[in-house]
Amino acid sequence: MKRQIPNIAGAAFLLLLAVFPLTYGGADYDYVMHILITGFFYAILAASWSMLSGYAGQFSFGHMGFMAIGAYSAGLFRHYIYLSPEPTGLCAETQFFGQWLVVVNPIGVTSTTLTQDCLRQAMDAWAGSVEVTAMPVLLGVVLGTLMGALAGFLVGMLVLRLRAAYLALFTLGFSEILKATISAEIDITRGQAGLELPALYPSGITLFGRFYEPTDKLPPYYTMLGLLLICLIILGWLAHSRFGLFVRALREDQDAAAALGVNTTKYKVLVFSVTCSMAAAAGAVQGHYVQIITPNMLFLLQMSLVVAMAVIGGIENFVAAAIGAIILQVLLEMLRNSFVIGGVEVDMTIWRLVFFGILLMITLRFFRNGLIAPMIAYFRRQGVAEETVAKRASTVTGPEGGPHRTEAPD
Amino acid sequence: MIHLKVTNLHKRFGGNHVLKGVSFEVNGPELIGLIGPNGAGKTTLTNILDGAIKPTSGTVYLGERRIDQFPPFEVARAGLGRTFQVTRSFRRMTVLENLFVPALALGHSRGRAELTEQAMEVLEFLTIDHLRNEHAQALSGGQQKLLELGRLLMLDPDVIILDEPFAGVHPRLMEVIYAYIRRVNDAGKAIILISHQMDSIFSLSERLLVLNFGDLIADGPPDEVKNDPAVIEAYLGAEEEETA
Amino acid sequence: MEFPVLFWGVLGWMIFWGVSGSILIRRRYLARDLDTSNATFIGTMAGAALGPVGIAAVWAGTPRASGYLSTALALLAVLIIAVTFSFADPDNICVTSGGFVASQVVNGLIIGIIYGFMALGLSLIFSILGVVSFAHGEFYMIGGMLVYWITEVLMPGVNPLIGVLGACAVAFVIGAVFERLMLTPMYHGKIDRPVEYGILVTFGLAFTLQYFVQAVAGASPVKVQRYVEFPRFRFPAEADLVWIKTSRGSMTLFEQVTISSPRLSAAVTCILVLLALLYFMHRTWTGKALRAVSQDREAAAIAGISPDRMNMLAFALGGMIAALAGALLVQAFSWLPQVGAIPAMRSFVIVVLGGLGSLPGAFVGGIMVGLVEAAGTGCIPDAQKAASYIPAYGMIVLTLTLLLRPTGMFGRRFASGSHGQL
Repeated sequence: MKRQIPNIAGAAFLLLLAVFPLTYGGADYDYVMHILITGFFYAILAASWSMLSGYAGQFSFGHMGFMAIGAYSAGLFRHYIYLSPEPTGLCAETQFFGQWLVVVNPIGVTSTTLTQDCLRQAMDAWAGSVEVTAMPVLLGVVLGTLMGALAGFLVGMLVLRLRAAYLALFTLGFSEILKATISAEIDITRGQAGLELPALYPSGITLFGRFYEPTDKLPPYYTMLGLLLICLIILGWLAHSRFGLFVRALREDQDAAAALGVNTTKYKVLVFSVTCSMAAAAGAVQGHYVQIITPNMLFLLQMSLVVAMAVIGGIENFVAAAIGAIILQVLLEMLRNSFVIGGVEVDMTIWRLVFFGILLMITLRFFRNGLIAPMIAYFRRQGVAEETVAKRASTVTGPEGGPHRTEAPD
Repeated sequence: MIHLKVTNLHKRFGGNHVLKGVSFEVNGPELIGLIGPNGAGKTTLTNILDGAIKPTSGTVYLGERRIDQFPPFEVARAGLGRTFQVTRSFRRMTVLENLFVPALALGHSRGRAELTEQAMEVLEFLTIDHLRNEHAQALSGGQQKLLELGRLLMLDPDVIILDEPFAGVHPRLMEVIYAYIRRVNDAGKAIILISHQMDSIFSLSERLLVLNFGDLIADGPPDEVKNDPAVIEAYLGAEEEETA
Repeated sequence: MEFPVLFWGVLGWMIFWGVSGSILIRRRYLARDLDTSNATFIGTMAGAALGPVGIAAVWAGTPRASGYLSTALALLAVLIIAVTFSFADPDNICVTSGGFVASQVVNGLIIGIIYGFMALGLSLIFSILGVVSFAHGEFYMIGGMLVYWITEVLMPGVNPLIGVLGACAVAFVIGAVFERLMLTPMYHGKIDRPVEYGILVTFGLAFTLQYFVQAVAGASPVKVQRYVEFPRFRFPAEADLVWIKTSRGSMTLFEQVTISSPRLSAAVTCILVLLALLYFMHRTWTGKALRAVSQDREAAAIAGISPDRMNMLAFALGGMIAALAGALLVQAFSWLPQVGAIPAMRSFVIVVLGGLGSLPGAFVGGIMVGLVEAAGTGCIPDAQKAASYIPAYGMIVLTLTLLLRPTGMFGRRFASGSHGQL
């Protein structure tokens, strides 16, 4: 069954990724793992972006903005909200199931007494007699995801009437405003200095009977891979349900879809909410993994990378986009090594991006469906043309000429 | 029992009075031709019935429900379907997927196999079943027109508005469309047929509506309408203007 | 700020009534079946400027609200914000120092002319190709880089005019070659979604150009000497108030308004080139052909104009305009390979504000954005915050434009096919 080849290849690829951290033993283990984790992060973004832009035709340049909403929601939540058994008397606080929910006041990075926020002062006064608990990381990630969904919902409502170039510019503007706000509100977000986050598993985790430190790469590897799989499964399920059919109809012809009973408004907003919440989830997890978030992750370069990965993989196939993202991330890292030709040193850390840009343009120009998606399509659509021809032939040779079929009159 | 009731429909675009109090009723599975010179308001009327634009005043009832304030998708679900003057297939979806859209939009909860079976029946009737897995953009203009009709069959509305179904269609396909109209009509659906091809309109329809500058100037059996002095004047008048 | 409650309260009041006005007046227009493209804007401005009274007045006189009225209301709204601000923050330099305000306005105007000029190139490309070029900022960047390379590296000490002309020529060639290689399949229906293709492929060019320059020139900032040095001059020579005083690099008017030589020379050059461009567009065959293609491709083709060649010319010209803006501003700012991002976004803002595809709109929009940025950077109390928010001012203008009046000030609706329709 040729049609099964992509499935088998996909399963093999997945298996390879699943066992890789357990079997690989190179000296550069942490480095390789880091690249793969970042690859999965980009894969989530590329896959959800390709659902939004390629599948549903809502060409958004604000995807990194939603990613940042997820990361900053999780980060700010962790930074400013604590649980304490005793009231501090200094902070804004409210009773919460027998505990006190404390909201720390923002003091910013310019303050000379960086650690002198209200909670710290209260803790100094308590002198260790009261145990203050930080919020669990997972809750922050969930909150970030929800905030991403909410932002996606609102932006989706705002852009209902905008198409094509206007939509691209609006979403780009959204992302830029967000970046400027995060950079400017230093008191709250710490601006360019960045907001520090705890590790994904702040007190370590035991996996497969082995304890892993918070700095170990294996737990975040499986977390990010798991998130990628969840996203792909959700996207796959959506694409194969009526949702996928409707958003494609929306992309092709909005008015015709509406005239056939499709609630175009609902599906447009829905596709924004779903894909943006995925970007936000990826952002929140990545934020905890790298342990620092800065407004620089909103640079257009980051968005360019996601767009380029999705386009080179195949903009209308989110699985291809995800695979493209992982492969390109690995490829980009492998090309980092500089070399010398004829006495001139070629600094590959920059030149690789030049080649990447050229590859993007060539892909767009000559391989409109990307480089990976056509391979999948080739196997998936095996026999379609043969079937058409066979049926057409049977019309001519069938008994009594067979049923008449409409041909394209040339 | 199908009952579409259009009452005193007005539409103004700025100072332009496009529909000036159009009223008519459709009772049961009628096959109605809607004709009128260019600019008579046919397309506006279609767009209002379909929900794409809202009337300035007047009401449209389909059965017990008032549909003139509905958005298009709710109008479609309420049982009024239309085709477009310029074919609007979902170009990069397969023929089968094109047919699935309306069926699923109605909240179809049957299995995929049953849905495919129903779609194949429609495609066989329209003689394009061999193309089922091709993308719609690979189809010829006439085949796309058939595909659009097929989508309407899947939507299964009570009232169908066909906007210029014969325009630019190969004569052989025309027979298929004729058969389609008769079959759908026999199956108990009301059809409103808009066309500039008078032969087709007169041979098919049981009743004619004539629009002229936003007024409904005639409503009756084709033979009667043909000899109506107002209709003759509208068409001749329009021609005079063109030649002047 | 001394009385933030006052300022934010008034702003909140204006936003509340603005939003109410936009919804109510739009509904009113819809109900009366009038053209709603202005309704949202008028409603918002009436609500923001005059509150419920304004909304009621526009509501009562619905069809008569004109373009002049909405402009007047918008100006009134801006005035109210300014007055409130001066009451809320009486010690702000924008309130206390008339000279500072004059200086900000003049410099905003000058930089706005350059912004408008750059946006003109983007608008030209859009009006003819229907493509929003995401590589516009990179053309701007290579313009400056080429001047640096020609005048400092290749031929040190050469007249800067040669550098500027060289930069324009190279940008023109890059634009033309790129258009031939990458954009041609768009015009013949070979691509399903040409608008998106155009955005992506110019995005690819931007990416490539930026890193190419970084790979070749490195990531450290470069700067060139100013092109024009003013002669020393004082007038009137012996007076209490010197009307005009120049030093080598700058000029001071009335001892208050200081204009630097690079900015002034850039703005003057932009105006001269703009006049030349206007002559070209309206008086030469090629220019008329360009305008014809922007209005109706098919009709122009029937009239014997090759739209393909016009596409190439438009893209090359648009890129060249951006490069010229960069070549003129490299004397004022230090230059990096990443320098194009903010001007590119500013150009998007200006083009949308003026109306996609409208050339006069781009120019007027540029001046408006220049003034908004000057007000924003000059008057926001916290200087560091003000600087961080620079990219956002334009984007707020963009967002408001897209929400209130997506066709922009001078926009026309692009009905034809995929050409960036709304």
